[in-house]
Order: sequence, then C-alpha cells, then structure tokens
Amino acid sequence: MGLAMRLKPFAAPLLGLFILLGGMVSAQDRGGTLTVALGYDLDTLDPYASGFLTDVQSTFLEPLVYPDENAKFQPALAVEVPTLANKGIRITDNGKKMIVTYKLRPGVKWADGEPVTSADVKFTWEAIKDPKYLGPEKDGTEEIERIETPDPLTAVIYYKQIFSGFKSALFSYGILPKHVLEGKDLNKDPFWDKPFGAGPFRVTEFKRGQYVIVERNPNYWRKDAAGNQLPYIDRIIFKIIPNTNTTVTQLKSGEVNFAYNIPFTLAPSIDNVPGLKVINAKTLAFRHLTFNFKNEFLKDLNVRKAFAYGVDRDSINKALGGYLKPLNTFVVSSFDFASNAVPIYKYDPAKAKAALKEAGFNPGPDGIMVKDGKRLSLKFMTQAGRAEYELAQQVIIAQMKAVGVELIPDNKSGAALSDARRKGGYDVWYSGWITPADPIDSYVSFYTTKGFNNGSGYSNATVDSFLEKASQTLDPSLVTLYMARVQNQVLSDLATLPLFEAPQIIAVTEKLQNFKPNPTNQTNFRNTSDWWLKK
Amino acid sequence: MNFPLYLARRILSSIPLLLGVSILLYGVLHLAPGGPLDVYADNPSVSPEALKNLERELGLDQPVPVQYLRWLGALLRGEWGYSIRSGRPVGLDISERIGPTLILGGSAFTLALLVALPLGILSALRRYSALDYSFTFLSFLGISMPIFWLALMLQALFAVRLHLLPSAGLETIGDGSFLDRLRHLILPACILAVANIASWGRFVRSSMLDVLGLDYIRTARAKGLSERVVVYRHALRNALVPVITIIALDFAGILSGAVVTETIFAWPGMGRLFIEAMNGRDYPVLMALLMIGSLALIATNVLTDLVYSLVDPRIRYE
Repeated sequence: MGLAMRLKPFAAPLLGLFILLGGMVSAQDRGGTLTVALGYDLDTLDPYASGFLTDVQSTFLEPLVYPDENAKFQPALAVEVPTLANKGIRITDNGKKMIVTYKLRPGVKWADGEPVTSADVKFTWEAIKDPKYLGPEKDGTEEIERIETPDPLTAVIYYKQIFSGFKSALFSYGILPKHVLEGKDLNKDPFWDKPFGAGPFRVTEFKRGQYVIVERNPNYWRKDAAGNQLPYIDRIIFKIIPNTNTTVTQLKSGEVNFAYNIPFTLAPSIDNVPGLKVINAKTLAFRHLTFNFKNEFLKDLNVRKAFAYGVDRDSINKALGGYLKPLNTFVVSSFDFASNAVPIYKYDPAKAKAALKEAGFNPGPDGIMVKDGKRLSLKFMTQAGRAEYELAQQVIIAQMKAVGVELIPDNKSGAALSDARRKGGYDVWYSGWITPADPIDSYVSFYTTKGFNNGSGYSNATVDSFLEKASQTLDPSLVTLYMARVQNQVLSDLATLPLFEAPQIIAVTEKLQNFKPNPTNQTNFRNTSDWWLKK
Repeated sequence: MNFPLYLARRILSSIPLLLGVSILLYGVLHLAPGGPLDVYADNPSVSPEALKNLERELGLDQPVPVQYLRWLGALLRGEWGYSIRSGRPVGLDISERIGPTLILGGSAFTLALLVALPLGILSALRRYSALDYSFTFLSFLGISMPIFWLALMLQALFAVRLHLLPSAGLETIGDGSFLDRLRHLILPACILAVANIASWGRFVRSSMLDVLGLDYIRTARAKGLSERVVVYRHALRNALVPVITIIALDFAGILSGAVVTETIFAWPGMGRLFIEAMNGRDYPVLMALLMIGSLALIATNVLTDLVYSLVDPRIRYE
C-alpha cells in the first residue's frame, strides 16, 4: 500500500506518455455523429436555471476548471487550477478572507470568434448574482465580494470568507459571453434557444420534447498532440427519450448509440448487443436510508440500530443484479477523506431484535414489535417510478419484517418528493445522491442542524462544528481530520444508514474511442473534445 | 329551429362554468404538496436565499387567492404567462406540443372509428358466430392488456427484430418528410387505437343488438324493406346516439394527450408536457393545459348535441 502510494506520482505522467504515444501511432478519425439518449424532458439550455444536470450544457459551455474522470480538478479556460501552493489562492485578513486568481489561457475564442477575456468571468458572476435573474443556481455568487480584472487574461476574485467549495460553484458550469448577453434579460433572451459558449460544440437546434443538436465549434481552443483542432466528432444529437425501456429498445435497434444511467434491472438485456459496449463506471453516487428523528420510535437510537443490523446489503445487491458496492460511511470511497474508523454494523438479525428489546419492544400477535400498545409501523418513502429504488425498497421491507418492523411504502415523485424530503414527510427514506466533486457543502446541507436539505431533524453539536470547520479550510489534511470526526459521529448516531456505492451503467457504440466516464455531477459530457468515432 | 341561438346560449352559459372550473383547478393544484421551486431544491448548490428571491420574483409568496386573481387578470388580457421550468411563454410551449398531439390523437381516433364501427355492426348482425366470438375475445384482450406492455412488444418486434419501423420519436432527425413521419406514426397510433377499438366496438355491438330487437325493426322488415336499408337506415342511426356520447368523451381527451403512449414513443405531445409540468408544479403551464382540456370538453359537448340532431331528426333544440 505504502509503496503503491509513493509510486503514484511517477506512474501518472508515465501513463500519460503512453497514452500520448498511443495517440500518435493510431491517428484519430475525424467526423461522425454520436446519438445520445437523454433520459429527461430538458427544460432549458440555461445551466443556471435548469432543474436537471448539465449533460447538454457541458458540450457548449467551457468552465474555468472542471473535475475530470477521477474527480480531480483540471484547468480549462484557466491555465492552472488555483491552489495555495501555486499562489492562485491567497489567504488574507488573518485567515478570514481569500483571494483566488485565475490566469486565463491566451488566444481562446468564443464560438463566434470573439476573444474570451477576464471581463467575461466578471460578467458571468454579475449576471448570475443579479436578483432579477431568476435562475436558482446561484451557489458561490454571494460569497464573492468583488472581481477585479487587471488585464484581459487575469481575473482576481475576492471572497468574503474562506470558501473551500469555490471550484464546484458558479464558474464550474461555464463562462457566459459578455459581448452577446450584456444588457439582455437573461431569463427570457432568445440566446437560450441556440446558445453557445467557448466549449467544443455549439447548439444548432433545440426542438422541445424531441432533441438537441450540437455541432463542432470551429473556434474551439483545444488541439491534440499532433496539433489537430478538436473536437474530432462533427455532431452530437441528444434525443429526448423519457422512458428507459424505450432507450434500451433504441440501443438495440441502433437508433441511439450512447446511453447512460441505464437501470440495473435493464442492464442485462443489452449485454450481448452486437456493436455495443457496456461500461460499468464508478461514480460518486451512493444509496442510503435516512431516518426521521421527529418520529416517536425512530428518535430512539436502538430502533435505528435495528435497521442497521436488520438490513442485509448482500441480498439487496443480489436482487438488483449485483452492480452495487457495500458502503459503510456516507463519504464515497473516491474521496481521500472517506473514513475507515466508523462504527460498522454487520447484518445480524439477532442483534436487531435485541436492540428493539432494549428499546422496550416486545413481539405482538402478528410478529410486529409492540411498545405501550403501539405497533412498530413506519412510513417508508422512496422515489416513485424508479424500478431500482422500488425493488430495493421491497427487499428492505421483507428484511425488516423479519425482525419485527412493519414498513409501509409511501412513494412520491417530483415536487412532492422534494417537499417531503425537505420537510421530513417520511419516517424512513431510501434514496440516492450524487456527491459533487467538492462535497463538503452538500454534507453541510444534509447533516447540520440548520442544513437546508436536513428534513430529518437530526442535530448534533459536534457534527455542526466540525462540518463548519471542514467547509472553511483549504488544507486537505485538516479536512480529513475534521471529516473523520463528522463521519464517526453521524454513524454512531445513525442519522443515516449508508448502504451502497452505485456505479452507472453506460452503453456506447464500440466505435467510440477515448470516452472517459465522469463520476461527478458534472456529467459524462464535461470534456467531449477528444472523443472520436472509428470509421 | 334556431340552432345558432341555442349555440350562443350554450357558449354564454359555459363562461361561468369555465370560471368555476378554473377556481377549482387552481385550488387543487396549490393543495398538492410541493411547489414549483422544489425541483431546484434537489440541487445542493441552490441556496435558500436564491429560492426566497425566486419566490418573491414569481409572486409565489402571495396568498393563493391573490395569485389566482393575478393569473385570471393576465388571462383576460390574453396572457398565459411564462413557464417556470422553461422560462418561455406558456403559449409557445403549448403551441409546439399541440400539433404532434393532434396528429397522433387524430389519427388514432380515425383509425379506431374506422375499425370499431364495422366490427361492432358485423358482430351484432352475426351474433354468436365465429366472428362475433373472436371479436369478443380480442376486444376483452385489447381492453385488459396493459398498453405499455403491448407497445414495448411491438417496438421489439418491428424496430429491433424486423427493422421495419422506427421505435420512437416524431421523425428521423434531419429527415422529417411526410413518409418518414408516417412511419413514425404507425406504431403509436395503432397502440393508442387498440383500447378504443375494443371498447367502442363492444359499445356499437350492444347498442345495435338493443335496437335490432325493437318492434319498429320488425315492422320495417315486415313491410319488405331490404336488409341493407333496415340495418343502416333504421337500426344504425338509432344505435349511434348512445355510441356518440361515449366516442365524444374520448374525442375531448385527444387534446389532453396520451401520457403513456407519448412517453414510451418519445412523442413530444401535450400528455408529456402535462406530466413534466405536474412533476415540477409549473402552475402557469398546468393551468393552461387544464383549461384547454376543459374548453375542449365543453366544445365537444356542444358539437355532440349538434351531431345528435343530425343523426336523430327527433332531437331538436329550442
């Protein structure tokens, strides 16, 4: 382990060299169309206003920095990722504020040929921050005090506080072109019908409910090792197909040749389709149970322990096709600060029953535990219409029934689900979550007392203070230290019962080369420029 | 008699009806848990302050009656408002969906009518024949078979196995010719027609059987009229009156779209727009869709009355 760790810094550039050489030997084919199945009815191409992830938007907007296939940040419009070490981040005012400096890449152009400058960075902040702009995705705008642009290629961002999540916020979706949008009403401007940015593609057609076509941006800045202009692919068509069964049918009939987020239950049916490659890709997504502390039974730790011991991860995984990886903490293993020192609850029905006995329950006439004349019956919520979740729910219901807990399914979708989540309209909740590449802020929103997404009523002073500390430090070793405390506390309290890390099943045509699945919520399309299709 | 006068009266009386419907719908929609901003709350990088600001800008912080009156006021000025999800005028969002929905619903309706009427009549005329039994069997199959299952099976057969038809979508991207659109229409239109053929056919059959057993049919036969005239002139016209009621109700539903069929066939229609708007609680779009649906229902009812009087001369409107 130690040796492997020390070898890593050398191995990475070496690997890069091999890839580079490999690339030089077999020239990439240019051209071709990739037809992607988009599993939702895209609402708008404005990434700051959309209720969905930014699959399509990532192809035409270029960010300053972005998380790559290993969830590590890489520079795009910026020359390098700002860190304390490269002086891109400076701490001021006795550690209370910070200044982040982005040096922009010279010679980068918008799709319409105009140069990209630091004024565009400043404009993007001002436009999104503007209270008149209704896009809700304003994370990271309020933390900024001002932006200075000493020259066209330098943007200096003055933060009001230490803000560790600055890379995931605001600029991560991409910079907007000032020369086109200045003075316009960003909410309603027709720009969003055929938007462009500095990304590898630009939108040429958006038919609502049907498809989005993006075509090569001739002014894209990236070149390959041989000096060829990227991207290689001519065109990507995103076909809107809201039903996953239909997506699988279209993969089989060849009407689409790229689909992701294929449900585990459908994955086996595309295993042997000629010309199709099925990829089981690691992601930052995980599945877990959340307990509502406002429930009279669940506020007792012993009842939550009954779940921790009573749920058998292996048999759930088996029912779902075996694609999942058991998880013991709410931090997925891709993050260095995922802790091993958390309480582990191994499946043990006897211990589950013992915990319930401890809590004062005794078996009732129908096998369900009873305390003071009340049956241990709980509302069990998950997202309606998601086959994987509903199947897992069924298995958990059976497992908990075996230890004397009755779970009544109460599934919701859309706004009703979000509403229940934030207000705690559930007793037990099975759900999935994709962690962002800079995850601390999302933990704050779930597990702190006043967290925006904390509908469960969980409150612990240790968790609150250490999460606050973790969100305000830029030192990775301190993050590891603080997050170890947080994880241990949350798992001791069983505020949540982590169950699995979930991969995503992606099916692509065998002709597609250089595709690297992206594990973060920035989607697989974050860097499409070097994908190519074999002829 | 004076049909135009009757029509004018019906239209005038439908105004308070529509007003009442709109109050009811507005109230029910706002009673449903969650609001338009909950979709964004799924995202950890959306701050509570941003949502508060959005709520204020969209007027969602106002009491529901105030919101309703504002909506009604705008509607009277001819404005449907802006979709919260897409940021575009509601009229534009709907106008893009109404065409595909009318094409799909209209062709399925026509197809169902063309098959169900003759099948029902034949089935009634040859009661207890092999044809009657097989139609009865098939129609029960059609009624009880889940539409989504049949759709998936036909997709697998015609698109994957035989490569004869496209599995989904409105058109091949970049083609969009009449023939191409027709090929895309075949599967969803047939699927949508199946349930209607089954239920309408059953209705035509039993209605015909009722009429064929009546005295005046016996009289018609006794006075030596040909079987053709007896069946089509005397029996069918009278049998059609109850059938028209059923068919008209289904006709009004065309405009609301077919959620399941549109979803499985990735058809960009009103049904999918409704589901998306419902999941996102996009009130302006929802209200527009529901009001269009109500209007269609009222219009169809007036039309149905007109058709009654054409089919059955005894029906008069004073």
